[in-house]
Amino acid sequence: MRDYIIRRLLMLIPILIGVSIAIFVIMQLIPGDVVSGILGIEETPELRAMWEAKLGLDKPLVEQYFSWIGKAVTGDFGESFRTGEAVFPEIMKRFKISAELALLACVIAWIIALPLGILSSLKRNSVIDRIVRVVALLGVSVPNFASATLLILFFSKAFNYYSPVKYVGLFENFGTNMEIMILPAFILGSIMAGSVMRMTRSSMLEVLRQDYIKAVRAKGAPERVTIFRHAFKNSSIPIVTLIGMQIGGLMGGTVVIEQIFSIPGLGQYTLTGISQRDFPVVQGCVLFIAFVYVIVNLLVDILYTYIDPRISYS
Amino acid sequence: MKKLFALVLALALAISLMPTALAEENVLKYGVDADAAGGFDPHTISAVASMRMIGQMYNTLVDVDEDLNVIPELATSWEQPDDVTYIFHLAENVTFHSGRAMTAEDVKYSFERILDPEVGALGNSSSYAGDIDTVEVVDPYTVKITLKNINAPFLANLSSSYCSIVDKDVVEANDGSLLLADGGTGPYTLGEWVPDNSVTVKAFDNYFDEAGKATFDAIEFYVLTDASARLAALRTGAVDLISADTAMLDLVENDDSIQTVSYQSRNYTGLFLNVNRAPFDNPLVRQAINLALDREEIIEFAFNGKATISGFVPASLGHWAVDVTENEYYTQNIEKAKSLLAEAGYPDGFETNIIVGLLDSIRDTGLVVEQQLAEIGIKVNVQDVERGQYLDAWNGHDFDIMVCQNGAGSDPSRAVAFFFKTGSSANIQDYSNARVDELCELAVATTDTAKREEYYKEATNIILDDCIVAIVASPQEYFLASTALQGFAPNASNANNFAGVTLAK
Amino acid sequence: MFKKGKSTKNRALPGNESLLRQLWNDPMGRAGMIGVGIVILLAVFAPWIAQYDVAKMHAKDKLTGPSAAYWFGTDNFGRDVFSRIVYGARVSLVVGIVAVGIAAGFGYLFGMIAGFFEGKVESIIMMVMDVIFAFPSILLALFIVSALGPSIVNTMIAIGIVNIPVFCRTVRASVKTVKSTDYIANARSIGLKKMTILFKHVTPNVMAPFTVQATLALSGAILTEASMSFLGLGIQPPNPSWGSMLSDARKYMERAPWLVIFPALFIIMTILSFNILGDALRDVLDPKLKL
Repeated sequence: MRDYIIRRLLMLIPILIGVSIAIFVIMQLIPGDVVSGILGIEETPELRAMWEAKLGLDKPLVEQYFSWIGKAVTGDFGESFRTGEAVFPEIMKRFKISAELALLACVIAWIIALPLGILSSLKRNSVIDRIVRVVALLGVSVPNFASATLLILFFSKAFNYYSPVKYVGLFENFGTNMEIMILPAFILGSIMAGSVMRMTRSSMLEVLRQDYIKAVRAKGAPERVTIFRHAFKNSSIPIVTLIGMQIGGLMGGTVVIEQIFSIPGLGQYTLTGISQRDFPVVQGCVLFIAFVYVIVNLLVDILYTYIDPRISYS
Repeated sequence: MKKLFALVLALALAISLMPTALAEENVLKYGVDADAAGGFDPHTISAVASMRMIGQMYNTLVDVDEDLNVIPELATSWEQPDDVTYIFHLAENVTFHSGRAMTAEDVKYSFERILDPEVGALGNSSSYAGDIDTVEVVDPYTVKITLKNINAPFLANLSSSYCSIVDKDVVEANDGSLLLADGGTGPYTLGEWVPDNSVTVKAFDNYFDEAGKATFDAIEFYVLTDASARLAALRTGAVDLISADTAMLDLVENDDSIQTVSYQSRNYTGLFLNVNRAPFDNPLVRQAINLALDREEIIEFAFNGKATISGFVPASLGHWAVDVTENEYYTQNIEKAKSLLAEAGYPDGFETNIIVGLLDSIRDTGLVVEQQLAEIGIKVNVQDVERGQYLDAWNGHDFDIMVCQNGAGSDPSRAVAFFFKTGSSANIQDYSNARVDELCELAVATTDTAKREEYYKEATNIILDDCIVAIVASPQEYFLASTALQGFAPNASNANNFAGVTLAK
Repeated sequence: MFKKGKSTKNRALPGNESLLRQLWNDPMGRAGMIGVGIVILLAVFAPWIAQYDVAKMHAKDKLTGPSAAYWFGTDNFGRDVFSRIVYGARVSLVVGIVAVGIAAGFGYLFGMIAGFFEGKVESIIMMVMDVIFAFPSILLALFIVSALGPSIVNTMIAIGIVNIPVFCRTVRASVKTVKSTDYIANARSIGLKKMTILFKHVTPNVMAPFTVQATLALSGAILTEASMSFLGLGIQPPNPSWGSMLSDARKYMERAPWLVIFPALFIIMTILSFNILGDALRDVLDPKLKL
């Protein structure tokens, strides 16, 4: 097991190199660059040349890449082309915000989805099952920007309420922070809940049909034990896979919601970096998101072995 | 024990009261549509969203008022011994936010910084301070600026934030960058910037000008990119003022707690035709396109009716503007447009691409134009592109038709020469007309306003009759504010002027 | 307990006729089929159903509510919302189906290979998947759309590629579970070849989670297209997609709610129908129900 983990961690290296090369090439291919963003309508050839020299963009591409990656391996992601601020501390600051939002969304999703999914599978094809399935799908069916705008409009008209506009960190003021996060987390959570609930239901059905569940029942085990100790545990592999992917996807994937609710998260940092062609920011963010994603998935794979001892990595 | 209990109680009370005390602070909360981009260096930041804060933090030697008259700011008076020499007398009670007094040395330093090629300052062009030859300190409160050549609009151009006066010590303490530092003299100092959420500027107690002194303890700018979220925040009192979208205006008409504030901008929106690319190299085709447009309809759809028909020198530029409604190409005439197209060799029209982006009104203008040009048989493919692609098309002069919204500035040297003179960086059409070039040069080389007006009007009419552009309208800009906000009167010269503005709470 | 290949195939992948009949006999399946059928009919017969040209602007009828002339009202250009929804069905459906087709096809292939062969092959495939999935999908979409030029086809490719890893991982996870169960060992002991086992026995067993995933991805694709429109990278105007209609309508949500209600209703109906159909399909395809 330890060897497996070490091997997986070593695999991080080629993945991150792959991502860094891919993102570097992408940033060269997409139209526009940081200089036209800085100069806007005032651009002249002289100003452009000056800024390219200042930002090191006049050097050969390969040299640019290696000078960046050389520093990155030491944990120095460089400075933003626009503000001159170090990228890595800003990423960490925003990662905490996005991670909080993602975890809150997950918790909300699980609270909604797991009980409903299990209930739905136990009462298969009943009226309850059908209602639950349709309701769960509503969350998945409405684009999040539309439901966000609708919620904002509803709260402002019905309760004359708007969540606090000034962002406050979790440890600065817990109450205010929760007030800021709860609506966006609810929207993200309700979207996730749909798929988690469906996956729970379908995996549960799968397992409930298995012979050994019948055997457990036949032995006279209490229904609660049958469902949670045996059925739910054994059906949780696809659910865990899905949740792992969702958490990974939430890093940087919350950008639309962050934008509407003015949450200074990692998604917005990346998007701002992309729209300003701020290469060190984009490169840093994408690498970091990739790193988090790989780690989360490693954790998921390790979790498999606990859930299902038949799966082993060697 | 009792005492301890009382103490704890008192403390608890004090803590519980604190947020209320904070809430009663005299703060203006302003919901804006975009975050500051890159920071707040007045010399290197071109983003309009950053200007909102820069305008509070920095001063320039002179300002222009609503009617484009040059008025004193850091310079209380000035004289011009000859056409290329300007002597400015500075206010003597100006202090930087660092507490240091501002003197002529700082003015000299500021212009040296703007002209330093290593800085890459935006003001280093003849549209701003680029024509400066020398800056001399005459005495601590007098500075003499000599130009390399006559530049008639120089004084007005000094009012641009690209020509702000900055604190040398602060620049040097921050490795030459003011992006995240504050080296200004303005009524507010830079507080906290939480990117993608908010920017706070705080009152500066030692501001030199009583009339312009901060009336709020702080101004908090909140980034609310979504228009309906901004309106919701205003309605619920989360913010006091927002930049408005014309689509919102109907919604607050009957709302007693919200007022609408607006001003006529000096921007204009219109079509730029690539005159070096067929078929737009043919004047008949360009005339046909101009004649095919129903500008009223575009205004109705793309600006919700809140704009006025305009040329590239908008009427808000006062005496500099020509009356475009008299121009023969401003009245829709489908039949004539069709016959012109046929005469040009395109009886069945042709297919072309139109690039739109950046703003909703630009995109919507493109969509309406697509419908209107279809009337004369021109099939238009609308390409709604992302910002980077849009700027690439702009800088690379790579487009068939491009819809742009440009600022006409405060002098026609911007509105005419910057966009249409041969070789000018913003001449994205690579348009070249010898007479226009000549007129632009004549107009910048004389300080006789009547002559300049004559030159620019002739140039304007040549360009309009050449039909290289099809300018549609100059939009009205809107704010929505709580009725508690008093004295807020923005104008095109200074849209975010909060001098004398108060909140009656 | 386990019968030979041919009969399993007949059960797991019944002929089209019997599959449709089985779906129709299930009430949920019937509802799903009707819903999906309506959307497909709208898309196919759009030119005959729509009353107006989707780009035609009516200056006098700007932002009017539903009426006899305009069933679903008009938008801020005075364009007929009903006609735009009918044509939008084409865009949304094609984008959804093609994108999921790309994603499911490649994801299935890579997931099967990775899960079955393990070792180096698995490592390499999963690494590539990780690289793709580790990218924020918006960046990938921005890249593809701006590198190839904004168009419907490139939107589909972008959404398709973004979704491959989801399928790949789901399939691989299921393959792993199936492999550890007894009957694969049994099948092997009977002497069936690896490839035969792969396609005949694993395929039906991963069909259930896969179908659920596919129907979810279809909803996801329609929503991703909407989000791309929101960020200004979507379908080029004036072509309507339901997502871009919703995105454009945000500003007018309060003034003209029909601009939001109708596209949202159609998105919900489509996604519900596909999901219900997916569930029913899963039940029909699921071999274990009959084992």
